[in-house]
Amino acid sequence: MEYFRSGLKSVLGSSTPGNQPTGAEIVERLVSRVSTSTLLEDRRDACRALKALSKKYRLEVGAQGLDVLKQVLELDRSDCEIIGYCLDTLCNITSKETFEEENENNINMNVNVGEQFTEMFLKNTDNVTLILSFLEEYDFRVRWPAVRLMTSLVSSKPKDVQDIILVSPMGVSKLMDLLLENREVIRNDAVLLLTNLTKSNANMQKIVAFENAFDRLFDIIKDEGRTDGGIVVEDCLLLMLNLLKNNNSNINFFHEGAYLQKIPPMFELPSNLEEIGWSPQKISNFLCVLQLIRTVVSPNNSAQIITACQKTIRNTNLLEALSNILMASGVPADILTETINAVGEVIRGNLTNQEYFANVLAPSNPPRPAIVVLLMSMVNEKQPFPLRCAVLYCFECFLFKNEIGQELVVQTLLPSNSGMSNLSMGQILCSGLFSNDHLSIWFSAVALSHCLIENPAQKEQLLRVLLATSLGAQPISLLQQSAVFLQHTSKLQAKLGIMMLLAQWMSYSPEAVRVFLNVPGSMAFLTAQTSASEFDNNEELLQGLCAFLMGLCVLYNDNSIQNYSKENLSQLIEKRVGIDTYCKKLVEISRHEVYAKAAKQPQIKAKHSSELLLEFEFCKLLKSLEGVIIQALGVQRELSNGMSELSLNEHENALLLQYKELIRDQDKKLQDMQKSINNLQKINHTLEAQMKELQDTNTQLTDQNTLLKAQLAVNPSVVTNGPIQVDSPVQHSNESVLLEKIKILEQEKSEAENELNRVRKDQDDLLELMTDQDSKLNNFKQRLRELGETIEDDDSDVENNSEGAENES
Amino acid sequence: MSYAYLFKYIIIGDTGVGKSCLLLQFTDKRFQPVHDLTIGVEFGARMITIDSKQIKLQIWDTAGQEAFRSITRSYYRGAAGALLVYDITRRETFNHLTTWLDDARQHSNSNMVIMLIGNKSDLESRREVKKEEGEAFAREHGLVFMETSAKTAANVEEAFINTAKEIYEKIQEGVFDINNEANGIKIGPQHSPTNPSLPGSGSSGGSQGSGCC
Repeated sequence: MEYFRSGLKSVLGSSTPGNQPTGAEIVERLVSRVSTSTLLEDRRDACRALKALSKKYRLEVGAQGLDVLKQVLELDRSDCEIIGYCLDTLCNITSKETFEEENENNINMNVNVGEQFTEMFLKNTDNVTLILSFLEEYDFRVRWPAVRLMTSLVSSKPKDVQDIILVSPMGVSKLMDLLLENREVIRNDAVLLLTNLTKSNANMQKIVAFENAFDRLFDIIKDEGRTDGGIVVEDCLLLMLNLLKNNNSNINFFHEGAYLQKIPPMFELPSNLEEIGWSPQKISNFLCVLQLIRTVVSPNNSAQIITACQKTIRNTNLLEALSNILMASGVPADILTETINAVGEVIRGNLTNQEYFANVLAPSNPPRPAIVVLLMSMVNEKQPFPLRCAVLYCFECFLFKNEIGQELVVQTLLPSNSGMSNLSMGQILCSGLFSNDHLSIWFSAVALSHCLIENPAQKEQLLRVLLATSLGAQPISLLQQSAVFLQHTSKLQAKLGIMMLLAQWMSYSPEAVRVFLNVPGSMAFLTAQTSASEFDNNEELLQGLCAFLMGLCVLYNDNSIQNYSKENLSQLIEKRVGIDTYCKKLVEISRHEVYAKAAKQPQIKAKHSSELLLEFEFCKLLKSLEGVIIQALGVQRELSNGMSELSLNEHENALLLQYKELIRDQDKKLQDMQKSINNLQKINHTLEAQMKELQDTNTQLTDQNTLLKAQLAVNPSVVTNGPIQVDSPVQHSNESVLLEKIKILEQEKSEAENELNRVRKDQDDLLELMTDQDSKLNNFKQRLRELGETIEDDDSDVENNSEGAENES
Repeated sequence: MSYAYLFKYIIIGDTGVGKSCLLLQFTDKRFQPVHDLTIGVEFGARMITIDSKQIKLQIWDTAGQEAFRSITRSYYRGAAGALLVYDITRRETFNHLTTWLDDARQHSNSNMVIMLIGNKSDLESRREVKKEEGEAFAREHGLVFMETSAKTAANVEEAFINTAKEIYEKIQEGVFDINNEANGIKIGPQHSPTNPSLPGSGSSGGSQGSGCC
């Protein structure tokens, strides 16, 4: 014991340098002491020493002591002190961070030791269960280090620990009980532990929620003074966010459990806020609460949940509270920005909430609608960029599926209303549209385009809007002015903004297309841009958009302008741009990373103003019409030029070629078949003819034979018999020739039979004919046989035989 | 919105017996013949009235697949009621009831009310488990029994409400410690307990209590 103490002393600092043992040696001695000593006090002291060394000699303690420490945890669990030392030591060696002492000790160590020890420790899942069981020990010396050890383990290997806890009985329950702890440090660490534990694990999130997490957390928040509270409040809110993000089941539970009702008190601003100001912690807490609201009404959630939560938020006066913050003075910019975003998502697509928001008045003199005040900040260059983005998003949310709202905005621009104050929504947007600040142009154009989405009536109404450009000049329509402006401005951002507005306007609207085509130079501008080959710095977006606008001009063309009819425009595209180039340019947009970013979510997420190029709703429009345009051009081309393969994409093209090949093949086969059928029919015909001739000859022969027989019977000794007698051998030879011929004929017949069978296989019609023929043939054979018999008895009839021979040849 | 009591339920039983459909029929009054496999656990809620008191039911519909068994076990302890469901057209789902019951009894608090449910009673022609068998099983293990059809909605309301009634009676009898939220019962906001300081002390006592077992 004495020796050990001196050893420890030397390690911990003040000692003579000469006979100092190395760290590894000391650790080794301590470890062996822990494992062999029979006295609890000895083991305890050794553990205490190990704990003290575990930062500086982390590698040594971890490598040699891990097993011994686990052993102590199992065997000495009744002694809180030694358990505490063990847990602390484990906590140090598995920690992710690198300690100062460690660094000066071992500089060239670049592997993460903590993570490796964590991995070793987690290999045996029982170890985690063991630590979980120490959470139930009330003694501070055990419970607190156990919580910290769990936190350390989770932060290095979250997935592994999550899986172990999920399957260990009551694992989550034990952790949840820690939130009821009245020793704050443990409770607060437990909140952090749960936050780490619930990251990206829906099952863990659900169980934690099931175990009354929201109740506990709201209790803590309330105890800590709500948003005025310290960092604990922020931690609790972050844990709640973890439980809710992308977890529909938990959001549903949060809504059904009436937890939204607990939020409004957090937004109560003290009356003396302007004096005391906003502390950084209060700002953080506030931002978290706003995040919380946004999470439950996020456009990513299921529509059912969004609607339900939006309704509740309105009914619990939370929307009112948010609107108040919006209009309060002295609110820090980032809170204001997030509040605007939150209001946006709370009203998005919900008519009641949108109406409520339209009626919120700003406390100005004279009172103006809050929307007007917000829009003024949007087109104000001096306002912070994130705030301006938030206003646009909020305005978009206000117009989303809100025909009344869309009409409200457009109406402020119509001639009948021009006498009113010059600070209406529409007028702010119009002045923004033609201002010198290209960001304002982009914002205003996008905002205006949202008044037209899926609203044909407003597209038509907005065409009536006239602008007085300069004194005395003819008023010019808004669309015309936009088209002219497009040709003259040089800023890409402004151009894209205007073009997105035009695209939204001209889609599904032949009237708008007509007006646009009538603007001098507009088509030439689009053609020139689309056919341009050089591009730098997102120029391809511009070219793609020009192509898209051209496509819309073809698609929604009512042929009312002769020069720019559907057909003419298609030909223009084909001749000046080329279908290939055109399609390439058009498709280019949706392949662009800017498109991918914008199409991801309705909210405008840009860190810098230069990133604002495309916008969510426009991306949706493009996606839905891209294919239609290409198809329409293909159809037009087909009408004038025949089949087009260029209008198809690669896959379709391949498919088409495949089919063509197939058809060609089948055509060839069909022709071959036809040919063989013709041949067979021809053969059949010849055979038939031959048979008929043979039949005729046979009949003749029979007749003559009968005649000759009769003559012989009448005058057997006629002198004229001479030639017959002379001819008699000839007759005989003729007969044999005839027989031979008959044989040949028979052979031929059988051949014909075979062929007939083949024909039967090939064609049914033919089969019948052949069967017919067959039977005839058989008859004939019979007769021939009969005839053969009779002829053998007969010696005369020279003519007939020679005739028959002739016929057979 | 306000309620006198809040009860937490879980629905358990083999995969494909119609647990999610029962919940959907009860909360949304609709039937969805093709349902995705439940992953882990899904939540649903509805308000009912018993003894002219508003009672909020929070229901966790668990995944029946074996792979999720260990996860769903975590929900037993905090539930006041459980619907144990089998499919009357599949004998094996009935045969597994003992396993489910053992699991539930082992991990839940002893007062949890368990309702045995034979679902798909509309498929009489394909029935494999007689109603009497269900009744006998329920009698033997001290459960309440009912045959339901999530498709036709027959007995679905009753199943959930009768379970709630049972829990409600147990509360009246004082069997449940209503101040311990770990039992799956919560008192509504306007029904705050007679002694306002009770819930805090009661629940911290609960945590210590759980420490010993």
